[in-house]
Amino acid sequence: MNGFEQALTTGIEGGTIILYPALGELIGERAGVVNLGMEGCMLAGALSAFAVGAITGSAWLGVLAGIGGGAVVGLAHAWLVVKRHADQLASGLVLWFLALGLTSVLGANYVSQTVTPLPVINVTGLSAIPWIGPIFFEHDSLVYISYFLVPLIGWALYRTRIGLVLRATGERPEVVSVAGRRPELVQMGAVVLGAALAGIGGAQLSVGYVDNWFDDMTNGYGFIAVAVVLFAAWRPWLVMIGAYLFGVALAAAGVLQAHGIEVNQYVLDALPYFVTLVALVALGRSGGSRAPEGLTKALTNSS
Amino acid sequence: MNVLSTKTQDEPKLLAPEELTNPTWSSRLTEVVTAAISTRGLRRLGVALGVYVVCLGLFALLVLSQKANPFGVFNSIFQSALFSNGSIPEVILRAVPIVLAALAVSVPARAGLVNVGGEGQLIMGAVAATGVGVYLGNSVPGFIGWICMGVAGFGAGAVWGGLAGLLRVLVNANEAVTTLLLNFIANDTMLYLLYQPWKDPTGGGQPESRPLSSHEVLPRLFGSSINLGVIIAMVAALVVWYLLKRSGWGFALRVVGGNQQAASRAGLPVNRLRISSMAVGGGLAGLGGMLYLAGTQLQLLPGGTATYGYIAFLAAFLGRHDPFKVVLAGLLFAAIAVSAPGLQLSYGLDGNVVDALLAFIVVAPLVLSSRRKGAF
Amino acid sequence: MKRKLNHWSRRLRLTSLAVLAVALSGLPIASVASGATTEPWAKATTVGFITVGANTDEGYNEAVYSASLKVASDLHVKVLRAANVPETQQVTTVMQQMVDDGAKIIFATSYGYQSYAYAFAKSHPKILVLHQGGTYTSKFPANLGTYFGEAYDPVSLGGMAAGSVTKTNKLGFVYAFPIPQTVDNVDAFELGAQKIDPKAVTYTVATSEWCDPLKQKSAATALISEGADVLTQHQDCQSTVIEAAKAAKVYVVGYHYDAQSLDPSGWLTGSEWNWAPLYESIIKTAQAGKFTGSKYNANFIGTFASGDNPLQLAPFGHAVTSAVKTKILAAEAKLKAGGSIFTGPIYCNNGKLLVPAGKVATPAAINQFTCFVKGVVG
Repeated sequence: MNGFEQALTTGIEGGTIILYPALGELIGERAGVVNLGMEGCMLAGALSAFAVGAITGSAWLGVLAGIGGGAVVGLAHAWLVVKRHADQLASGLVLWFLALGLTSVLGANYVSQTVTPLPVINVTGLSAIPWIGPIFFEHDSLVYISYFLVPLIGWALYRTRIGLVLRATGERPEVVSVAGRRPELVQMGAVVLGAALAGIGGAQLSVGYVDNWFDDMTNGYGFIAVAVVLFAAWRPWLVMIGAYLFGVALAAAGVLQAHGIEVNQYVLDALPYFVTLVALVALGRSGGSRAPEGLTKALTNSS
Repeated sequence: MNVLSTKTQDEPKLLAPEELTNPTWSSRLTEVVTAAISTRGLRRLGVALGVYVVCLGLFALLVLSQKANPFGVFNSIFQSALFSNGSIPEVILRAVPIVLAALAVSVPARAGLVNVGGEGQLIMGAVAATGVGVYLGNSVPGFIGWICMGVAGFGAGAVWGGLAGLLRVLVNANEAVTTLLLNFIANDTMLYLLYQPWKDPTGGGQPESRPLSSHEVLPRLFGSSINLGVIIAMVAALVVWYLLKRSGWGFALRVVGGNQQAASRAGLPVNRLRISSMAVGGGLAGLGGMLYLAGTQLQLLPGGTATYGYIAFLAAFLGRHDPFKVVLAGLLFAAIAVSAPGLQLSYGLDGNVVDALLAFIVVAPLVLSSRRKGAF
Repeated sequence: MKRKLNHWSRRLRLTSLAVLAVALSGLPIASVASGATTEPWAKATTVGFITVGANTDEGYNEAVYSASLKVASDLHVKVLRAANVPETQQVTTVMQQMVDDGAKIIFATSYGYQSYAYAFAKSHPKILVLHQGGTYTSKFPANLGTYFGEAYDPVSLGGMAAGSVTKTNKLGFVYAFPIPQTVDNVDAFELGAQKIDPKAVTYTVATSEWCDPLKQKSAATALISEGADVLTQHQDCQSTVIEAAKAAKVYVVGYHYDAQSLDPSGWLTGSEWNWAPLYESIIKTAQAGKFTGSKYNANFIGTFASGDNPLQLAPFGHAVTSAVKTKILAAEAKLKAGGSIFTGPIYCNNGKLLVPAGKVATPAAINQFTCFVKGVVG
């Protein structure tokens, strides 16, 4: 496998860790709720997954626990912002701090332990395809599930009634109300579902990719997920591309150095953020970044 | 909107909502007292108290789960934040960057903009001040050095914040996300400088800048460890208070924040106002970075800002963007940070437990959001 | 009338600020050095240890933690511990709190604590401050000491083990930042490997984080895909790299602690900290009132040669043959007899001469190394 292939392969594996919370954020934002606490949801997911994985010896039970861990944080966010009309950004940041503190305290005994990870499965037939095979079809199952999840979310958002209601909630909740649906329930559901997906992202990190738990191990990747959604202008396929771009940029830093290509490590580190920024500018210029209307309101400070 | 057209900019204070409903302070006092006595007011107060008790109770549960005594822990927090040797100056010094970065959130908030970039703006302020401070060295008298560093710090923060404002206005890129991205870029910029061109050649390879020359360091006051930076931060807070509550600029920002279309129909330069609010906000955080550098850290060190930028966002929220309350909230958070070591030393708690405490304190007003009166 | 209200509220605010300012003016002044002849920390009964990470990290910080436990039981002193203390102003607050709780001797054990530790020593002349890092370059105050070990001694032996098993002649090294200690370790690893396999090349990847598992895993994967069949690292947490090596069935040389149990088949050897003897020696010196002017009131570097290196060679794994073990132990004996891995001629990988032929680099010079040696890619 050459360096280029390696960067793409590792990029997809690592990008999946960002893809899950980004898809979750997309669902919540489509319903008009921004969750800046994705980082906290990921941490909760990563620790729950690791702890349960370590205790039971089953990484899959860990993933289920990770979904639960993320969802619990999401439920808190949903209750605060939907039921209590709390400031969405402040609520997200607070839950990040809360999850950071709680997981650090409760996870201290799991630091540096290891767990039997999710196995890497080579998809029969497909992994033999030259070039494409190793890049896309030699990963753990959570990566494959995400391949299906992206079109599934796209289909659900645009082709199903529930997707229509969700999008309408994000645009004009009063219309949804008039149509006899409860926009509050839709938003709560969307936020909890989104946070559960972030929990899977955390699980993919702790029991799928690195097989370890360390406090603050998400290191800002949850915030990246929020940025990716904006970069993708709320479209699932672009979220996937954005997450993979980030993953590939992270992987490229390692591959280039390992290959002996002289690079400035700090420039490489800043590159993904810079690229996202540039993409935002480019998208904005082309008028491609119209936000859901409810979200625009949520993201405007009213003091 | 008829309010807008009848009042001129000369008397913007007429528009403050609390003042519209409360004509005089004496009648306001009467009203507050009556409200408090009335059952509804009491119920509200009771709910607010109840929510805080529940939140602190949750924290107490966490403490219990770590086999520590919650009462002892709360006592230790008070002791080490308020009564132990030198803790009050320590809290005040720590509050300087938090308060200024929180004001950096509050100023754009007037114009309806969200600045999550306090962290990056603090960093860029400290970076620019370091560059100028180290370059000047002993060549100019101290106070000129402070002014140059202050201007550089403010300017760098203003550029960092203003950039996000500019992107918002030009290409409608959401500033909450762009400021977030700029935080990471600022941190990488600082790391690059510290590990490569700015690394102190006499520092034994440590990633740190050359220290500021001794007369560039902000002087201590009253024989305590409080330095000039605290006074400057207080003045900055007063200026922000004046700008927001008294100046035409502050008034215009509030109009823009209230209704952008109306503002632009009223002939206000909406774009310029929005950019300027982000730039002034970023500048304040940059100044905070400079004051922390020249007063406390004395040389640029990696990780010196220690998530103060994010804590500041919560302080601005807790203080509801009112400069005076924001200062109080900043002091509260600084006190929590200062109390952390006591918890570790006396109770063996994990140092990060204070993140949870800070969160529990902010969750309460979030829960009370729909009953805003009882929040803070 | 509104004017009156505003005037009043402004006055209130100004008054509160004034009250605050007055309150500040009465604050205690930092204590001044006394002219006493006996050292203030003599007979100290309370010692503080500050670490940057978790006590359970089975790495750098746990090594300090377990040593502090041993210190408490061996010397019958009260030990105060603060873990997870970031390299920020928080270090100062922790040190102050420790002093308030009676500590006379404080060990600040993270590399990045240096400037905080030094500033604290200067403002607290009655408190003995020790920084674990050994890279302080200015004149030492009477109450400051720094210490470290020749980490590169055992690392070079680990390099020999790596050189003995590699089939691709490619070794992988994951590190955080190019600080001198890391540069020394990379260089020693490569030089050690060359002793067994002259064609050995060490490929390096920097992650810009002391503990970011995601980046470590990417770095390890990239190195393995480049052909490296032995990995090692200089990070605060090492289990991610070990897990990556295990998954790819390549060998691993550890750092910080004996992690053979994580990967019994891939583990070659490694370096493990044993801080307790050094801590106890420093504390005893201080308790006897003989710290100032001692070897610890300076950059103290424990070495194999003087028998006080806090970093030891960890146990060998199954993959190391007995012939190789003999060679490594012989090399260790040579280091203990005063030899050095940094014996010239050594060239930087840019061709510059680092150590002239026949010369041995001094610990002080080694602590200033900024270049990777020939044979290191990066």
